[in-house]
Amino acid sequence: MSWQTYVDDHLMCDIEGHEGHRLAAAAIIGHDGSVWAQSATFPQFKPDEINGITTDFNEPGHLAPTGLHLGGTKYMVIQGEAGAVIRGKKGSGGITIKKTGQALVFGIYEEPVTPGQCNMVVERLGDYLIDQGL
Amino acid sequence: MEAVVVDAGSKLLKAGFAVPDHPPSMIIPTQMKCLPADESSTDASLHEIIVDPVIRGFISDWDAMEDLLDHVLYNGLGWEIGNEGQILFADPLSTPKAAREQLVQLMFERFNISGFYASDQAVLSLYAIGRISGCTVDIGHGKMDIATVIEGAVQQISSRRFELGGLDLTNLLAQELGKSYPLVNLSISDVEQIKEQYACCAEDDDAYEKLQLSCPEEQHTLPDGQVIKIGRERYTVGEALFQPSILGLQAHGVVEQLVHCISTVSSENHRQLLENTVLCGGTASMSGFEDRFQKEASLCSSAIRPCVVKPPEYMPENLSKFSAWVGGAIIAKVVFPQNQHVTKADYDETGPSIVHRKCY
Repeated sequence: MSWQTYVDDHLMCDIEGHEGHRLAAAAIIGHDGSVWAQSATFPQFKPDEINGITTDFNEPGHLAPTGLHLGGTKYMVIQGEAGAVIRGKKGSGGITIKKTGQALVFGIYEEPVTPGQCNMVVERLGDYLIDQGL
Repeated sequence: MEAVVVDAGSKLLKAGFAVPDHPPSMIIPTQMKCLPADESSTDASLHEIIVDPVIRGFISDWDAMEDLLDHVLYNGLGWEIGNEGQILFADPLSTPKAAREQLVQLMFERFNISGFYASDQAVLSLYAIGRISGCTVDIGHGKMDIATVIEGAVQQISSRRFELGGLDLTNLLAQELGKSYPLVNLSISDVEQIKEQYACCAEDDDAYEKLQLSCPEEQHTLPDGQVIKIGRERYTVGEALFQPSILGLQAHGVVEQLVHCISTVSSENHRQLLENTVLCGGTASMSGFEDRFQKEASLCSSAIRPCVVKPPEYMPENLSKFSAWVGGAIIAKVVFPQNQHVTKADYDETGPSIVHRKCY
């Protein structure tokens, strides 16, 4: 299975029980910032932003004062899981980032998709990749 | 059937069906009496042990909590076995992940509920007064939480939990009364009652100093018939929140702690937070506390002064005693119908860790 298929079929899929609802954008990005696959809608990001994210995984709380930036958009950092999940909020939308062994799984959602739904999609794929050693 | 909202505090457990704008139907002490297994003992009162399942805000005795919830849900609220509904819990700040997982596991496996949701008490208290951003100063029996919330999400780095609450104030009062009346036998529950009846806050530092020197005394009759006089001790209890040195703690008073917490948030949010300050929790409903808080706030050094928000008029009286519960009733009306909660199917598929993903 190619990485693009993971993004198209498992991240940008319809949310269970809510036909027509899906994430606004998704991507799987290596820890070094290299893009493994991304949805067409995924914003162009800067290497600094990825660095900030990986630093926050290593030192939780790093992004909280300045906020999480991706592609120029600023997200307010909310409760995540130290070293495993970063969650951000922007208005009625937000972002979930799950860290796997070698990659970062990104999911960006907007209304009417809920934070919980985005978490489920992103973290489920993340857990699967972790199980596969990726 | 409406969802049930439960706010298990260190002293009082608030529970009821999610009917907003009404107080919870059950407000019972969070206590279980442990009766001896030996039925033949004639003098049961000697062997009764009182168990507190919730200590300092967190559930510590899970067996006792299970029994207490059993009583609340089946006896108190009328749930039937086989037809359990949905439940929403109000968690204090910094609840350990393991505790949240254990709670969701207990609810699905032991009580077989159909849906679960948990939310932070700080967020719920703000919803109760109609705000989604602001800061809460929740002074309960076992703990004091100062939390900053922006658009319904708690800002972890600028929120702090203090292990200081009504319990410590009761002990302080017992100590003070013990000094004035060394020979009188005061049980903690008596002191607790005295505290609730008489404790208040002086208007400001100077007023407190004057009251320490001379204070009108009131007579109080203890359950065993003895009469004691309560004088300046009642103000000492209230003052301890503003000058923790009275309790022997090296910490700043509650207003300064709040300002300190806010200072760690990015400054664009300061106004929004400080101008929407909510005081809640049983201990914060002490007479004179709100006025004193507002006065201390107007004296504090930060550029923007904390401003306490008044609850809406349609809310019941004494909202601060159960604002988290009322907030829970409000979001229960949104979360459950829109299926944003943890369903039995979700739990079966993912296990207890699902609570971190879906509930916040």
